[in-house]
Amino acid sequence: MSTTPPTIFSSGSDPATDTTTTKPTGTLLPNDTFPFPREFFFPPFFTRQTNLTTYHAQQTKWSSLLLSYCRHHRLFRLSLSPEVLPFHNPRINRRLSVSDIKSLIDFLKKDGRAEYVPTSSGKQKGETEGDEAFIYWRTPEEWGSLIESWVDETAQRGSVLTVYELREGEGTRGTEIWGMDSDVLVKALGTVVKRGKAQIFQSGEDSLGVKFF
Amino acid sequence: MFLKNLDLTTALRPSYLPDEDLLFVQDNVGLYEGKYKLPNQQNGQVYLTSHRICYVDKAEPRKYSAALDLKDVERYEFYAGFLKSSPKITLVPKANKRASLQPSRNGNASPAQRVDSPFRAPPVETPPPSSATWVCTICSFSNPVPSNFDPTTASEHTPLPPCLACGIKPTLTHILKAAISNATSRQPSGGGPALYTPLPVRPKPGSELPAPATQPSSPSPFQTADASASFQCPRCTFLNHPSLMSCEMCGGPLISNDLPAELTQQRRETDSPGPVLSSLAPKTSEALESVKLSFRGGGEKIFYERLKGSITQRKWLLQGAPPIPKTSSNGPVGGSSTGAATGGGGGGSAGGNQPERVKIAGIAGLEQRGQSMRKNNEIVIGNAFEDLEALMASAKEIVALAETFARQVKGAGGATGSDNALLAESASQLGLIATKDIVGSGGGGDSLYLSELARTLAEFLTDDSRGVLRKAGGIISLVDLWAMFNRLRGGVELVSPADFEKAVNLWDKLGLPVRLRTFKSGVKVVQGRDRTDETTIRALLAWMQDLHNFPPDREVAWDWQMFGRGVTARDVAERFGWSIGVAEEELEMAEERGVLCREEGIEGLKFWENFIDTGEGATMPDPAKVENERITKALKESGFL
Repeated sequence: MSTTPPTIFSSGSDPATDTTTTKPTGTLLPNDTFPFPREFFFPPFFTRQTNLTTYHAQQTKWSSLLLSYCRHHRLFRLSLSPEVLPFHNPRINRRLSVSDIKSLIDFLKKDGRAEYVPTSSGKQKGETEGDEAFIYWRTPEEWGSLIESWVDETAQRGSVLTVYELREGEGTRGTEIWGMDSDVLVKALGTVVKRGKAQIFQSGEDSLGVKFF
Repeated sequence: MFLKNLDLTTALRPSYLPDEDLLFVQDNVGLYEGKYKLPNQQNGQVYLTSHRICYVDKAEPRKYSAALDLKDVERYEFYAGFLKSSPKITLVPKANKRASLQPSRNGNASPAQRVDSPFRAPPVETPPPSSATWVCTICSFSNPVPSNFDPTTASEHTPLPPCLACGIKPTLTHILKAAISNATSRQPSGGGPALYTPLPVRPKPGSELPAPATQPSSPSPFQTADASASFQCPRCTFLNHPSLMSCEMCGGPLISNDLPAELTQQRRETDSPGPVLSSLAPKTSEALESVKLSFRGGGEKIFYERLKGSITQRKWLLQGAPPIPKTSSNGPVGGSSTGAATGGGGGGSAGGNQPERVKIAGIAGLEQRGQSMRKNNEIVIGNAFEDLEALMASAKEIVALAETFARQVKGAGGATGSDNALLAESASQLGLIATKDIVGSGGGGDSLYLSELARTLAEFLTDDSRGVLRKAGGIISLVDLWAMFNRLRGGVELVSPADFEKAVNLWDKLGLPVRLRTFKSGVKVVQGRDRTDETTIRALLAWMQDLHNFPPDREVAWDWQMFGRGVTARDVAERFGWSIGVAEEELEMAEERGVLCREEGIEGLKFWENFIDTGEGATMPDPAKVENERITKALKESGFL
């Protein structure tokens, strides 16, 4: 990705034309292909706002930024560190604080768009806030129906597929399902099972099989 | 007409004439004209000043307020009230005012009208030089000022004749004031009719005032052939001494003997609580012209006392008067400069000195002039501070001096400029401030004092020449204002914080052009009524818009042309002249409204235009909205939303 960074931040160039003509997609950072929205370069965006209306707008923008970022890079889980890219803007040297990241994930969780990755120690207690989170730019339900329609299209109803097949098999290559995070895929399949359209069974150690009806 | 229109200040108080002093304020006062109530002027505040009596209506101050000049008052009477009838003070205008019904703004009837007056002969306005009189403070007898009394040379060692009636020696300043007011009353050429003695005209002993004696036959029944000998009581016909205020025999009030008969008879009937004056009522001149103040809330006694004092003092004569006669005759200049007191006033004395002075040109001349001026100032200040009375007498001069000193020092060293401005301001502040002493204590306890204080404060704040609010960027914290206000009072009549706060809270109720505002944090500030949060926000935003166009001092990482830059409370305080506390509060107010947003960083708390909440804010720039919509749309298209 050797995209030359746009020059709108150096005052020497002609920013007026730049801002209007640099595609509607936003601004690129070096080493990244994601077009960041304008707010990402607005320093107060990284400070938790006290005004409730503004704070709500801030969270909405952050979550949409996060979702589109993860979607762009097909990220299924995100490290909640203030030093990694979506939470840290190296250009203006601003970062979101850990507590703000947490409340952002909580905000996404309310919409069912994020979930903490259970830590090994917290597995028994259910959910604990870990250092990683699943970012559901598609919710497990959406993934489930996506898989289901793929199964339909490829006329594989009734047949048994392994999770590994779904993730890395030749059949799914070229579709969205290929390369999914296994945890997310299991969760997605779980929703299909819940609807009674599939069944999961252990077909060996560590490899899950799924049968679609 | 006797009653005139009144100009009001922004704080709905009478705007004072130059040199006018407020003496007393009383609320809950109604006006009568003759024996009729004036329908629209039944509840208001009466301001007694050294020059006027001003009525300010409570309900419609701009419409129904009125004033009358004390110089037009011939006579004033006190009625103590009886059962349901409130105490009243009746003010009878001068004869020439009654005769000429035309409203006259300056209060001076033309000479032609005065000739027509049946009550008074054309006045003889050229009394002999020795006709100055002083009124004894003990028995109020009018004594002549000794002809050898020279105000310029008089000191406390000058022998003073005792009062002719009671034998009490007067104070020097008393006679000094009398002599000066006499000198000034004679000064304008042609003898202005305004300079009539406004005292109840009584036959004066001796020949010191020939005017009443030379009157042609008057219709008054009380006019005896030898008017100066005694004064007949209208009730019991006892012949009283002319200087008595009430009859020695029956105690009845004595009336001036050159008063028209109709009026004195009329007066007896006006004491009853009168019907309301209807617009159709026949306007017989003399009955309607006398004005009564009805004191429904008390305070009439103090008012009467101060009215008496101020009519005796006749301060309005001092307007445009020459300065206190200078004792420059003792200086190196020499010559007789006593003309100021005896003859043509200040101008004449200066002219008289000129020929004798050796003219010295050049630097030596300038030096000599400066030296004599300094000497003169020294004498003036020395005299003024000898005692308090003398200070009052020469207050005008001292104030002028203080101002010139302040200017000089200001010119010399810029550092202490503000202190000197304060000094000058406090000098000009003398007198025009509501104090507990001035305000009547009728009924409502402190409420009148507080409302007067509130008005004084409002005037103080909105005074353009002082510019208190303007200098503070249109907003000033209450504590700062309190400190400034009390400093200006020069250490006397200080206002307690409790009273101050109460008065400030009255602003809204009184409809004054300033308001108190309490910030979220509890900080109280004072600002103009026209200055709302919206105007503040507009000013802030306009400034932040400018920051988009001017490059920041140093390289910044963000796109300053799009976002501008963050500002701290300090920046805002500097920009708008606010104090830092006020700036913080205003910024937080704007943030609260969603116009600004904050950034907490290593450089402290900075405020930015709100580019975060661009969805519903009315001030958001369009590109942001477009951007926002684009994202939502993109998300929708891809099925996320």
